Amino acid sequence: MREEAHRFGRARHLVGIAGVPEGARGETGVIVLNAGLVHRIGPFRLHVELTRQLNAAGYPTLRFDMSTLGDSGATGGGMTRTQQVCADLDDAMVLMKNRAGCERFVLVGLCSGAQNAHVVASTDPRVSGAVFLDGYAYRTLGYKLRHYLPRVADPGRWARWLRGRPGGGGADKAAPEPVFAVAPAPRDQVIADFTGMVGRGMKLYLVYSGGISNYFNHARQFRECFGKVMSHPAVTTRYLAETDHTYILTGDRARLLDGIGGWLARNFPPATAGRSP
Amino acid sequence: MHGDLDLPFFFGADDGLFGMYHAGTPTARRAFLMCPSLGQDLIRCHRLYRQLAQALAMQGVPVLRFDYHGTGDAAGSSGEVDWSRCVEDTVTAAVELRRRAGIDRVVAFGARLGGSIAMAAAGRAGFTEVIAWDPVLDGGDYVAALDAMQAALREDGERFTRPRSHADVAEQWLGFDIGDSLRRQLGALRVATPAVPTLVLDAQSLGQSTPWNDLRRLETAILSQPLIQAVTGRLKEVA
Repeated sequence: MREEAHRFGRARHLVGIAGVPEGARGETGVIVLNAGLVHRIGPFRLHVELTRQLNAAGYPTLRFDMSTLGDSGATGGGMTRTQQVCADLDDAMVLMKNRAGCERFVLVGLCSGAQNAHVVASTDPRVSGAVFLDGYAYRTLGYKLRHYLPRVADPGRWARWLRGRPGGGGADKAAPEPVFAVAPAPRDQVIADFTGMVGRGMKLYLVYSGGISNYFNHARQFRECFGKVMSHPAVTTRYLAETDHTYILTGDRARLLDGIGGWLARNFPPATAGRSP
Repeated sequence: MHGDLDLPFFFGADDGLFGMYHAGTPTARRAFLMCPSLGQDLIRCHRLYRQLAQALAMQGVPVLRFDYHGTGDAAGSSGEVDWSRCVEDTVTAAVELRRRAGIDRVVAFGARLGGSIAMAAAGRAGFTEVIAWDPVLDGGDYVAALDAMQAALREDGERFTRPRSHADVAEQWLGFDIGDSLRRQLGALRVATPAVPTLVLDAQSLGQSTPWNDLRRLETAILSQPLIQAVTGRLKEVA
């Protein structure tokens, strides 16, 4: 299998790399969105490793730079950010349909990429699944108890506090909530979005890391944040306490990729599974 | 606008190398080859490389950015990165740039190890000039610095909720697998000044230092307007 370099989009302003395994026409396409400001290869080349591993499993993929990120330009169309995200993903899905015959898609996003994937997954019927890595989350009561109780019970902390730091340590100072890298969304809206996604048959995989421990610190917090929709059979959650936000260690990265590959295989088994790229 | 014409493509043996070509003007007399650094420096400098390429293309200079085998969008895994292969890929990229631009005279640029690779490849690639930004000239010091940062990373409380095991961080440098071969190659690296005009840009000449080895800023983009001004100014001088 060879990867293809594309300049594409409504204004030919987007740049991306498509991977199309032989015989994969019509399979579910996997589209990987930018993580923060990192260009399409992803943090520590995470997106390259992910897309190639998925290509080997039989999935067509696209890793690409959204408008103004990486090597992609702007359209100058005066759109809102949400409109631009949806239009960029529409361009990406059209490319995947042309190159690999994809009719349905799984979006993968880390951090701001998860937020952008969420926006499109909420509204676009072509999206059949989504992998949200460190996506939306909120400091819940459970979070605060898990975070602060061990500190309150720590005599060393009290001793340090009494030695001259009235007001408490800065590290424990509560930050405004909710915390997210780009822009927060109202929790009720996010719950309604998740409910709508599973209601129309989407499969969701939420993987949150220890790297966002300033607002997420336990597997139970998925349910605390989003309620009963997290118990829906279409939703899979995973909390990786040891891991950092961008998967800097190669072993952590490999475990994440295996997890995504396994989730895809269970929910979107390709007819070409196991075929060599 | 020449800067709008950048084209992504694969080239080289088995189309294994990734390139981004920024067309210049037909009257250009020199082309510009941008050699990336390796590891996290490649990612941190991506935006700056694009900005510099677009600025030069606006001046009419054709520019090729590319990724070595095992880096960026090129074929190969991160653990396959090899110093000699990087130099060989640079020679291949110079051939590709000459073919696309129709210009024989190529100025090479690189930051950190990219500068070192440009200097090492200068003779075989037939560069007219090399511009190196904070190049790594003593590989032993570079390896020691990376080892120290990797050791500090293991216990980085800003990144991990608890220290990781030595096994978890072994045989990696700041997010990338590192093979024994590359470690040995870089450890023994002594980059000599090439036999072509070479401009070395550093903190003194640019009036600002660059936080290459600051673990807290490992995932922060490297941006430098003075660097862009220095390089575009140099290309105007020699146009």
